[in-house]
Amino acid sequence: MNIKEYISSGVVEGYVLGLLTAQERFEFEQYCEAYPELKQARTAFELALEKQAMENSIIPPADLKQKIASKIFDENKTAPVIPIQTTPPVKFNWVRLVAAASVILLVGTIWWSMNLKNENDKLKNDNAALQNNLKNSQDSIAQIIAMANHIQKEGMKMVGLNGTANSPKSFATVYWDTTSHDVYLLVNNLPKPASDEQYQLWALLKTNNQMQTIDLGMLQLSQKPLQVYKMTNAQSAQAFAITLEKKDGNPEPNLQKIYVMSNL
Amino acid sequence: MGYFFCLPFDQLLESKTKYSEQELVVLLNEQSNDAFNYLYDNYSGAIYTIINQIVPDKDTASDVMQEVFVNIWRKINTYDAGKGRLFTWMLNIARNASIDKVRSKGYRDNQKNQPMTENESSGMAMSTNPMVNDVGLKKVLTTLNEEHRKLIDLSYFQGFTHEEIAKMMGIPLGTVKTRIRTAITQLRKMIR
Repeated sequence: MNIKEYISSGVVEGYVLGLLTAQERFEFEQYCEAYPELKQARTAFELALEKQAMENSIIPPADLKQKIASKIFDENKTAPVIPIQTTPPVKFNWVRLVAAASVILLVGTIWWSMNLKNENDKLKNDNAALQNNLKNSQDSIAQIIAMANHIQKEGMKMVGLNGTANSPKSFATVYWDTTSHDVYLLVNNLPKPASDEQYQLWALLKTNNQMQTIDLGMLQLSQKPLQVYKMTNAQSAQAFAITLEKKDGNPEPNLQKIYVMSNL
Repeated sequence: MGYFFCLPFDQLLESKTKYSEQELVVLLNEQSNDAFNYLYDNYSGAIYTIINQIVPDKDTASDVMQEVFVNIWRKINTYDAGKGRLFTWMLNIARNASIDKVRSKGYRDNQKNQPMTENESSGMAMSTNPMVNDVGLKKVLTTLNEEHRKLIDLSYFQGFTHEEIAKMMGIPLGTVKTRIRTAITQLRKMIR
């Protein structure tokens, strides 16, 4: 091959400018190894091109350098992370596995003990409520038994008070100790009074065709069923009646509002 | 007084430091800040010029410029001094990136919406408007005859293969190769 002809064919410039095909490029590189003058010609054109390009350059936008620098160096900063991932994974996995298992176990334990505590608290509360209910029931039963015993005493007079036209279904019972003159009242059925009203028990006495009424006290606002309440003593009575009065009662009964009454 | 002298003197020294290509390649492989500063300060103009001659749109040229410098930075370990100078290597990275950008669908779609004057400054219009971008290699091109200029423009600045140029100009492939060689030798005379 005539290397001088080859050099002057334009292949040197074509190579430097990147205009050769892959095959031509490969050939050129092979010849460069064999012919130092070819390599010299290449370098000479490269230097000429470089000089020409340097002398005739335009200035790029001023902000570009900073942009590129941050692009290059910000990406480099994250680079040291990569080697960590390439360390043997076996050891890593164990540590992570154990750590993960510990966390799961810890969370599970906390969850479990929290549940347990909640359950415990709930049981305690339930137990306290039951105890309370039981005590109330026992108290009530004790009172009822005491009352039952009491009203079955000798000399105890039981008087049924029937509903009047005001409240035909109502019914109450008065237990009157004829020796001690104690009066007990059991409300079997009375409508719930309005909030500003209250039932009042009266003893009725008829002397010389004159009706005398004796105040035996106010019924408690909320009457428990089957509960006997002690009222004011009555020295003498021929009949009993319950009227609906204003709250805290009246000195004289409102006869229009008799709810239950015993026979005279 | 010492400070007054020290600071400008240091800067003067720094700006005057001139590395050989071999030294610069070593520095670049170390990926240091100094290497980047030297690379950019010395080569950005020439590289931006070649990009701008292929990609006339300023914003797109800036994008390509970033891409090119990142590529140079990352691929410096693939540079083979036996096959040519560092500058030649960088110039070809810039040329290839620019041609890729101009040929990308996104760029071509965008150019359709640009005013005509933008298109006229791109390579194809060279023959009718040779005075645009008359710096660097393109300035040298203006001294070539019309046919040679067109061949260099199509092959070098627009990246068409010889086959594509043959099809485009309706001449045989062998003729294209010969004429490009001739054009290149003309170019060499201009550059030397």
